[in-house]
Amino acid sequence: MSNDNEQLDQAIARLVKHGMSRRGALKAIVASGMGAAVSPVVTQLAWGAEGPGGLPLARPDQPATLPMNGDPIADGLEPESGTFTVFNYEDYLYKATLDKFGEKYGVDVQITTFANMDQCITKLANKSVDVDVTEITPDRLTQAVAGKLLQPVNHSYIPNLQKNVWPTLHSPFYDQESRYTVPYTAYTTGIGWRSDKVSEDIAGMDNPWSIFWNAQDYEGLTGIINSPREAIGLAMLYRGNTDLNTEDPEVIGQALEDLQALVDICNPKVANTQYQTLPQASSWLHQAWSGDLLTGSMWYMPEGDSPDNLQYWTAPKGRTPVQNDCWAVPAASGKPVLAHLWMNFILEEENAYSNFINFTGYQPPINAINPKRLIDEGTIPKHLGTAVVEPDDLGAGSIQYMTLTAEGQRMWQDAYARFISGT
Amino acid sequence: MYPRWLWQLCALPGVVWLLLLFVVPFYAVIGVAFGDLDPIFQNPIPIWNPLDWNFENAFETLSRFTPGQPYWSVFARTTIYIVFAVGISLLIAYPVAYYISRHARRTKTLLLVLLVLPFWISYLMRMLAWVGLLAPDGFVNQFLISTHIDTDPPNWLGGHAGTVVFALVYGYIPYMILPLVAALDRIDQNLIEAARDLGLNSYQAFFRVTFPLSRMGILGGCVIITLPMFGDYYTTQIVSGSPRTTMLGNQIYLYFHGGPQPDVGAMMTLVLSIFLGILMAYYLYSVARAQRALQ
Amino acid sequence: MLYKLRALVANPWGRPRALVAVTWLYMFWSIVPVIIAIQFSFNDGRSISVWQGFNPTRWYWGDPVHSVWHDPALQSALFQSLKLAALDVLIATPIGVLLALGLARWRGYGSRPANFLMLFPLVTPEIVMGVSLYLVFQYVFVVIEPSTTAQVLGQVTFSISYVVIVVRGRLLSIGRQYEEAAADLGASYLESLRLVLFPLLLPAILASMMIVFAISIDNFVITQWLSCGAGCDTIPVKVYNASRSAPLPSINALAAIMVYLTLVAVVGAYLLYRFLTRGERAAGSGHGDTRSLGSIDFH
Repeated sequence: MSNDNEQLDQAIARLVKHGMSRRGALKAIVASGMGAAVSPVVTQLAWGAEGPGGLPLARPDQPATLPMNGDPIADGLEPESGTFTVFNYEDYLYKATLDKFGEKYGVDVQITTFANMDQCITKLANKSVDVDVTEITPDRLTQAVAGKLLQPVNHSYIPNLQKNVWPTLHSPFYDQESRYTVPYTAYTTGIGWRSDKVSEDIAGMDNPWSIFWNAQDYEGLTGIINSPREAIGLAMLYRGNTDLNTEDPEVIGQALEDLQALVDICNPKVANTQYQTLPQASSWLHQAWSGDLLTGSMWYMPEGDSPDNLQYWTAPKGRTPVQNDCWAVPAASGKPVLAHLWMNFILEEENAYSNFINFTGYQPPINAINPKRLIDEGTIPKHLGTAVVEPDDLGAGSIQYMTLTAEGQRMWQDAYARFISGT
Repeated sequence: MYPRWLWQLCALPGVVWLLLLFVVPFYAVIGVAFGDLDPIFQNPIPIWNPLDWNFENAFETLSRFTPGQPYWSVFARTTIYIVFAVGISLLIAYPVAYYISRHARRTKTLLLVLLVLPFWISYLMRMLAWVGLLAPDGFVNQFLISTHIDTDPPNWLGGHAGTVVFALVYGYIPYMILPLVAALDRIDQNLIEAARDLGLNSYQAFFRVTFPLSRMGILGGCVIITLPMFGDYYTTQIVSGSPRTTMLGNQIYLYFHGGPQPDVGAMMTLVLSIFLGILMAYYLYSVARAQRALQ
Repeated sequence: MLYKLRALVANPWGRPRALVAVTWLYMFWSIVPVIIAIQFSFNDGRSISVWQGFNPTRWYWGDPVHSVWHDPALQSALFQSLKLAALDVLIATPIGVLLALGLARWRGYGSRPANFLMLFPLVTPEIVMGVSLYLVFQYVFVVIEPSTTAQVLGQVTFSISYVVIVVRGRLLSIGRQYEEAAADLGASYLESLRLVLFPLLLPAILASMMIVFAISIDNFVITQWLSCGAGCDTIPVKVYNASRSAPLPSINALAAIMVYLTLVAVVGAYLLYRFLTRGERAAGSGHGDTRSLGSIDFH
């Protein structure tokens, strides 16, 4: 081992003499493939530990505790007045639920939207929006905390977290002790298809992800989610790679090649409209989130078409990505008390249920909302029980898209850009 | 009668506005393209002082435009689509412009109105029209199937280069016809009559008199539609949506709205602007040369 | 026989049948799809590609959930479009008129660069303008976020050039004769501006207002880049988003409304212009309508 380190030090010293930084030298060695031969420690040094701002990169098996950026608000404060602004994706919150909150606390309410997480972080970082509470995904949480965009929460305002939410999410791995977030929805990524158009038995295949690579018959009627992580992740899962936070250029390169091959095979669209296009049958086979199928079956089926034609499959735990979106309070929030009260409000069983059933279709991680009950009642079609998320699906042993290093994020982004450009 | 300063004063608000909201933004693009990246957020940090400009990233992006590198094929594909679209547009536009300017007499006003009409119909509406027509159960397929021309027509909207070129032609051809009409209008009928008097038949008169005289108009029409086509990103998204048909504009959009590399997007915009600037400069030079030739 | 046929086709003084056919085919191809799209806004069913019967009101105000009248997202797009257009007209027209006056009459050192500056927005691809405005509002004029304000500022920037073209064309066709006559009669320059030049320019000013309105309603790229999200979306942005997923005929209805508004504005501009300049035509001063309709000057 010490022999390896000596070799490593020599190599690094040589590169540094030629003007590289020490970090850059480590990276170059790893990229050249020699590093792994020298020492596995090298890989971790160069890639593993450094997240944004030096914070640790959380993984389901490696929980991380985020540092406190200042103190949370004091206990027992009065809610503010005025207009309460929620920062969220478009069409991801039931307006009636938000209006109900506004009535309860006597404030006006509005939603400001962002198209994707990049926009969310950028707008918060540039202070170009004035919002009081924001939706956020765990893979951006580290960045947001490192950049001091969020303030810690005071749990005396949010008793519903302990009372109603799945135990696995009380102190999630990405935010131990829930210092900054409370969960909002939980979902898996899988394959959505129309059983009346696609003849294969996807769920029964050995490698269901491979359906895309055998979809010549469905040219132009397939689709992939337009997110760098999801698209490349799909190709990685096809090959059986379950480390979806990898920064190994070879794995990413292989995934890119597979995706490029996909263009020739079935010419997929790259979009995020599957919750509409599957019901409308303008798309027959689409990578989808579990919530999309529920939304689609409940709200977007045309007359004469039955939700029985929609199917969803996802792999067992550890072989498919799960994700849970969260709420957090921006550091610059003008109404932090209301933000806390909102977080408590949305975790109230009836509000979460109403939001889920009446609008979003994305399941909230609430104990009392037992999807088995919903299936028995007939609210969720039985064959879409695969779109239901269980508490056990999260936590250790699962895979979840999480924060990458800056270099890693660029690699994924570049690979995705190459796929998108059909090169 | 008017004081000397009056006209400059009148022009002042407009010039100031354009400087602030046209020239300065362009400088902002340069500043971001040659700037740094925030290590935490991966946001671009623009650098305003030309002496501090960071050219590393910029040159790396630039190098990716060369053949074999990632952005080359998008650039090449965009160019090919545009060459086809402009070529086809010209083939359609020229006869129409020729007829309207030189032959239509009673119907000329009506035809001019019909010609100008698409200008005032939003581009999006015109594309939406084709989304409906080219849908798998739309009129085009209904027609093809019922007349037995093609009983199993392809999914036109499934991601085909042909559909994108077709949509580009449809979208931009009105912008080409009007300059052509104007150019052909200006050709003096006497010249053609003189050519006929000298013994040329109608075809020869066309190819040796009319066509050469309309060259500036053709060039103008082509330039007018080539420039915006290079920046087009929405046409292919509407009628295709497939990675196989993405254009340069889509890449630029992706780097701004889809991920952490706005500096690359800014650099691409810069490259696009310079490329188009060269085209425009060539056009202006030709116009100036032609004008001088006339004097 | 062949000779006669050939004469029919190739007669230089007669009607060239092939060209006629091509031209009318082009017109048909150019306009009929839009008419069909508008027709589908009256579709009885939910499809935008299959005709399911005629229902004139379902998608405009009939359907209680999805029609333009009832769907808050579509309504907000309509109002946002109108709001932006109104602001654009109010701001771009005065600036543009003044700029036109200045550029047409300024015989000085800076006039050519200023003229060039005015022409640039016309030839710049919209994505370049969109990107540059997006960046400038993020890094230079940070007080302005992507919002209605930013959208107005962006739209005004390219609308100014259109106003200049229309007004300058009118200026050139008027000539200086009337103002010189007024000067001969003893008017000061302010009086000449107010009593002679402005009334003469009025047709062009009103026409350019309508044209700016039409352009603003149809604008897509700049509006999208400077948008703040769903609240700032205009009709073209909504049409774009919907056409990529699963559009209902309510989108056709919304787009049709956009077409109606634009056409009313443009036709209104034209009629107003003709009406206000009717005296000039009677006097026989017109030397080609086209010249007075607009002027792009390259010097």
